[in-house]
Amino acid sequence: MVYYLIVCRSLTYAQRTAAVLERVGITAHILRSPKVIAGEGCGYSVKVAQRNLSDALRILVQAGLGPKRVFIMESDGSYKEVLL
Amino acid sequence: MIYLDSAATTLQKPDTVARAVAQAVHTMTTPGRGGYRPAQRAADTAFACRMAAAELFDMPEHPERVIFTSNATHALNLAIKTLVHPGDRVVISGYEHNAVTRPLVALGAETLVAQAPLFRPEVLLRQMEEAITDRTAAVVCTHVSNVFGYVLPVHEIAAICRERGVPFVLDASQSAGVIPISCKELGADFVAIPGHKGLYGPQGTGLLLCAREDVNTLLEGGTGSASALPGMPEVLPDRLEAGTHNMPGIAGLLEGLRFVKRTGIGRIRAHEERMIRTAVQLLRGMDGVTLYASPDPGLQTGVLSLCMEGMECEQVGEVLGKRGVAVRAGLHCAPLAHRTAGTFETGTIRMSVSAFTMESEIRRFAHMLREIRRNGAQAV
Repeated sequence: MVYYLIVCRSLTYAQRTAAVLERVGITAHILRSPKVIAGEGCGYSVKVAQRNLSDALRILVQAGLGPKRVFIMESDGSYKEVLL
Repeated sequence: MIYLDSAATTLQKPDTVARAVAQAVHTMTTPGRGGYRPAQRAADTAFACRMAAAELFDMPEHPERVIFTSNATHALNLAIKTLVHPGDRVVISGYEHNAVTRPLVALGAETLVAQAPLFRPEVLLRQMEEAITDRTAAVVCTHVSNVFGYVLPVHEIAAICRERGVPFVLDASQSAGVIPISCKELGADFVAIPGHKGLYGPQGTGLLLCAREDVNTLLEGGTGSASALPGMPEVLPDRLEAGTHNMPGIAGLLEGLRFVKRTGIGRIRAHEERMIRTAVQLLRGMDGVTLYASPDPGLQTGVLSLCMEGMECEQVGEVLGKRGVAVRAGLHCAPLAHRTAGTFETGTIRMSVSAFTMESEIRRFAHMLREIRRNGAQAV
């Protein structure tokens, strides 16, 4: 399964993001961002499945929660930034 | 004990508050410090508390602008020290608490006081109209006087501020949980709220509601976020919440907020008004007793001040305390309010109620005052 990580500005933004997505039936998990994508150190991301990404991004923009950055988790465990 | 000091701290809390506090001690660490269960539980609880507050104060889109503080004084210091710089001109009402006036003195601000008589909102508004100019750095105003329960016309004051482009800070210490507050309608830059009064949370909790993100820090330290940065993160709430959170307090506050929502602010207000009306009816006309009651119940919440001729307020408070009645006597950390109302020399005896106060308690209190009046303090 391919997953995307939506990088958030803070834990509270990640919680808001997950709450907005869960409300429309999109499964979303909050996790601490892996070091390679955390940038400033100790960040938070919301993990969504590939099939939900476009809906998730649309809904988040509508809610005023446009993501900072989005990464795809490759099958080998590496991360690659997705250009929005 | 008959507890009539809820304007300081509500002592009777919903049972759910104490249970949540105890449970948090054993099951939560702090938000943002790990992916393990106790940290996640803390994060979920903190977020639920922010959401509950954001909904209660009508800013549901912005839970991240609900900042946890240790009390309303802390929240007011954050707001005031963001907006006011040494020498700035600030307008305040004549009913402010030391939590407002002392930070302004510490900053060396030039303070203009709208010192209108008690329960005369139209006079206060006229003075505010005159005092607020485009040179005003901020207006800080209490929603309700902690001494007299006087409800100030804060919506009108906020409207003047908006019209003149002046930042407005609301001290909601005595109104949160008692009078509906809509951040959207009010348009204040900051609203400072204690957790331990009308929200029925534990001591050591408070909230700062922010309509803006450029807030100066009072404390710097770890936030569990952007840790590689040398300075504090810009983003709220992290910017203003350095260090480990008071999770037992926040868990308790969440239950307090739920209690207020479940009970209904309208019902709480009506109950408190009824208690004060009962007290006024019982005490009015008592020889040598001066009551500071508004003829319009809409202008007063569950706080009533009084004086007894020939007896010091502190003495009456002490006698009542010995007989198991908790009231507050003196200046109530609000000397300015007493100067404005003309009670600075004597102070007042303040009784204040909550959703848990019973009419029988008010009757007992009035009976004791009558006894003290009749027999003197030594006879009680």
